[in-house]
Amino acid sequence: MDKDLQKYIPLSESTYYILLALSEPLHGYGVMQKVETISDGEVRIGPGTLYGAFATLDKEGLIWMVKEEERRKCYALTPKGKQVLAAQIDRLELMAHNGRQVRPLL
Amino acid sequence: MSDSILRKFRWFWAWDDEREEAWLREMSQQGWHLQKVALPGFYTFAKGEPRDYVYRLDYTRTLKKNADYFSLFRDSGWEYLGEMNEWQYFRKEALGGEAPEIYTDNESKVQKYRRLMGFLLIFLPIILINIINMSRIESKTASASMWVNIVLLGVYVFGMIKLYLRVEALKRL
Repeated sequence: MDKDLQKYIPLSESTYYILLALSEPLHGYGVMQKVETISDGEVRIGPGTLYGAFATLDKEGLIWMVKEEERRKCYALTPKGKQVLAAQIDRLELMAHNGRQVRPLL
Repeated sequence: MSDSILRKFRWFWAWDDEREEAWLREMSQQGWHLQKVALPGFYTFAKGEPRDYVYRLDYTRTLKKNADYFSLFRDSGWEYLGEMNEWQYFRKEALGGEAPEIYTDNESKVQKYRRLMGFLLIFLPIILINIINMSRIESKTASASMWVNIVLLGVYVFGMIKLYLRVEALKRL
């Protein structure tokens, strides 16, 4: 894996879900709703956490502002953000694959 | 003053935000809902039906408090009550017995307390310089001032240790 991408892996659970949600352009509250929906209510992201995460991800160049709707900024993944998310998903695939071999023994 | 308004003064140290949140929630459960806050610790409450409002304090000195910040909280159902000393006061009703949170993971909670500790750090040289200066002057007022600053230093160190331990506990989880 690219050294530059490696430093982001593993992503925290919140960051992972925020990036997943941003596979389509969304504003902050849209991300909070989508994360709750796709995780069946298992993962919730509060506004304090999301605001800080957006600031960090923007600074790191993983997301960028693509448009403004009703005075709310919509963000989407940058090419680098897509690479990081793909690397994280691959890592999770490996972890889940390894886990599944042990799961029946538990 | 009317019966439906209550003004209280209460002092909370910067590291007691969770205790302050719990106190505000108890007040609301008794029907006294926070209306506004003012320095250095004035709270105005309005009488209403008792409700289980959960209060959350955000510390935002180095976060830019811009329109995005406030619309994010408003969109997700948090009512903004005001600001005191860079602390932002929000509330939301607890439904189904579950207390809503503005920080939903330990990493971001740690960030909040790091911002607070970063700010508190600027007081350390001020207190130390006061102690050194006052110890050089021979007068009763200077010596009294020195002791006041030594007590302040004690409180300060106590608070910083409490914050540090809280951050460490969050990191371990």
